[in-house]
Amino acid sequence: MAPSQFDGITRRNAIKALGGAGAFAMAGCTSDDGNGGNGNGGNGNGGNGNGGNGDGGGSLSGDIRISGSSTVYPVAQEVSRQFAQNNPDVSFNLTRDGSGGGFENVFIPGDSDINNASRPIGDDELQRCRDNGIEPVEFFIAQDALTVVVNNDADFIDSISLEDLATIWSPDTMPETWAEVNSDWPDEPFDLYGPASTSGTYDYFIETVVGETESDQEIRGDFEGTEEDDLIAQGVAGNEYALGYLPFAYYTNNPDTVKALSLSESGGDPVEPSLEGAQSGNYPLARPLFFYGHMGKIQEKDHLQAFLEFYINEADEDYIAEDIGYVPASDQMVEDNLTALEEAIAGEYEYSA
Amino acid sequence: MATEETGDQLGQTTRLRLQKLKGQLFEVSLVAATLVGILALLVLFAYISVDAFRPGAASPVWFLAYFGTLVAPMAAFTLYARRKPAVQETNARAFAAVFGGLLLSVVMYAVIDSLSPYDVFTYVFFASIPPALVLTYDRTTDDRTYTGPAIPVSIIVGLGVAAVLYDFVRGPIGIAAEWIMYFGLVTVPAALLVARLTASRRGRRTGAIAGGAVAAGGLAVALASIVAGIDASLPVVLFSGSVVPTSYVVWRSVRTNPEGRVGVVGPFVLIGGTLLGASLVEGFGIDNPDTFLTPNLLLQSWDGLTASNAGVYPQIVGSIVVVGFMAVLAFPVGIGAAIYLEEYAPSSGWGGRLATLLEVNISNLAGVPSVVYGLLGLALFRRTLGFGTGIVVSAAGTLGLLILPIVIVSTQEALRSVPDDLRQGSYGMGASRWQTLREVVLPEAIPGTLTGTILALARAIGETAPLVIIAVATTTYSPPSGLFSSATALPLQIFAASANAKPEFRHGVVPAAAVVLLVLMLLMNATAIVIRNKYGRGN
Repeated sequence: MAPSQFDGITRRNAIKALGGAGAFAMAGCTSDDGNGGNGNGGNGNGGNGNGGNGDGGGSLSGDIRISGSSTVYPVAQEVSRQFAQNNPDVSFNLTRDGSGGGFENVFIPGDSDINNASRPIGDDELQRCRDNGIEPVEFFIAQDALTVVVNNDADFIDSISLEDLATIWSPDTMPETWAEVNSDWPDEPFDLYGPASTSGTYDYFIETVVGETESDQEIRGDFEGTEEDDLIAQGVAGNEYALGYLPFAYYTNNPDTVKALSLSESGGDPVEPSLEGAQSGNYPLARPLFFYGHMGKIQEKDHLQAFLEFYINEADEDYIAEDIGYVPASDQMVEDNLTALEEAIAGEYEYSA
Repeated sequence: MATEETGDQLGQTTRLRLQKLKGQLFEVSLVAATLVGILALLVLFAYISVDAFRPGAASPVWFLAYFGTLVAPMAAFTLYARRKPAVQETNARAFAAVFGGLLLSVVMYAVIDSLSPYDVFTYVFFASIPPALVLTYDRTTDDRTYTGPAIPVSIIVGLGVAAVLYDFVRGPIGIAAEWIMYFGLVTVPAALLVARLTASRRGRRTGAIAGGAVAAGGLAVALASIVAGIDASLPVVLFSGSVVPTSYVVWRSVRTNPEGRVGVVGPFVLIGGTLLGASLVEGFGIDNPDTFLTPNLLLQSWDGLTASNAGVYPQIVGSIVVVGFMAVLAFPVGIGAAIYLEEYAPSSGWGGRLATLLEVNISNLAGVPSVVYGLLGLALFRRTLGFGTGIVVSAAGTLGLLILPIVIVSTQEALRSVPDDLRQGSYGMGASRWQTLREVVLPEAIPGTLTGTILALARAIGETAPLVIIAVATTTYSPPSGLFSSATALPLQIFAASANAKPEFRHGVVPAAAVVLLVLMLLMNATAIVIRNKYGRGN
């Protein structure tokens, strides 16, 4: 026992000594800086006089918080990266919450400056924004071709009509097997994959394809819903009789994983999913991508104004199509967005659907 | 009669055999259970590391080169060291000094750099003057009743003064060059530590000379960097945090330990082998593995389009800042609660029942899913206290709540393992409860406490779910600049990148970043093991 106790005491003393040393370290540092410090300081100043002055310059600084859709996220990520490179003092904070999740949890409480959305803002969301004194400023920045995919081995199908898609996904019909929809298709059960209900992709699909339903559900309940496009693709790749829908960006970066279907609308010719088709309006599931700015914050923050201007002008660049896989903004869209930004800066913008 | 007996004996042996067989079967099933766990883990790690390192792309010569320069010498040295305990011990110490020092200085530089060295200096400076004054007073007087408690109080007072004076002081301090801040924050403590250690062994004079040498070395490094036209901050930190401890350990081992002095070569064999291998590979143009685990990944910020440009520097520093601040919040509270529950709380009556209820609840809290803590953090920090979403304070607070029960339970275990004889002995010699705790129980419990708490840190650094709930950023381009700026953490970026549309992110950058996270966690565990072994050896 004695040695142990002795041990303890030395240990404690050692800790005390350490603490003491640390404290004295600081004390030494003070006197050093107080007396000899002038000489040192002069020295250092000569070394990097610029460092001291450059701090308070006219460059932009502050933070920008971007939330919302995981579909728009890659665009916001790339544009903010470029902006941050030129303006190192502007700090960005990006999260992926889904269009609805971003509005609900971050934008409407007033925490984010920008909320990405892969669908227009909903009426109740708009109302709740205004209840909180937030005017959402809409910027329409790109388009996506929603892509319907099947397994690579599904030879029985190359195209599908929107009507058949509606039949498959509607809670009113809920076919069990492919043959129930079209007798040319095999008598095998469906395996369905799609985005989760917090996703703007889901909202768009419900509105455009499934439409109004008689039952109290928006969509049939027996599909796998997820925020991760990769999981949808993997699910479809794993079953010969699976069907799912994805953003075109995912498909174009992973063309070998799954097979994309051409789509036809009310008896017309089937159109392959492509950026050109989405741009020209021939492809029936071309959907708009937006981001919404917080007008109060736009007026308040200079760096946010500068970033938005940069973002809007960047949205018609080729890399949006080549590297990300969306239809870039047209000249008209850029112009409209710039007008919206000007109105927002002046505080005169008012959202109308 | 005889036949009956044989039958009986036969029955006995069969029963015995069956018994034995049962035992063997049990053992086999245990081995199988062990193997399933280990093999599953091994396969998982192999899978991740193959994806992260992509050894397939490297030419056989690459493996040969590194085998010759790194693996073979290292193996030979380890085999040699294993046979001589003295060498092995020195080797371990040298490794700890070289890599511990390197790691410590890099982490210190990254964290101080992201928080602004001027701010850190201001606060540290003000927080250290009052305790220094108290200690000076302690030296000059015999009446030491109040000096002990006065030290923590004076630190808090100092921090308060710093917060009040911040606006006035920050300007003048900002005039000085950045490296002077690092000199004050790293070099001066290092010099004083060396002075103190040397003085305790070789007298005050030598100690003062050694400390002075360290400080002078720091200044020389700074001057040399300024002359060479590079930023002096990092060289000063590396010198004080890495070169100084390395040379101290090497010098001491060589001078005082003739048997084991060869051991100091260990870390240099490793570093030299790596550098030699790298220069060979570079010089002969040998194909490297097509890995994403590059300096780019560690030093750049995120790029969501080009996988080879993607880096996680802000996320790594963010994780370290969040977990570090979390430790500051959770450890005093957790350890304090554990000491109360274990040493002071009544064991009978209503108070005792209350304490038991608390203990049971804390043990249960340790198993609550982390998502629930995320919701708690959201409710507490965002809704009730009104902090912004996803800032460092909320993230650290949420994770702190998450690990608090683990810290309490492991500290309690450590305190419980201190033999009661020691306490009774101390009481028997007339020590009070506080004196017993301070002089006997706590020093004994340090290794267990530190091990438990560091393992809790390692758990916290990998947590994702609670951070997603409180909306911590997945992508930022600079590390957090203060406690109220938006936080970011490595697991979140890994999670976000796993949904990237490009396959090279999902199968290249994600596993590489996962390896970085694993290494961070393993480093913490290694620290825990080193501390446990160091303190455990005496007992």
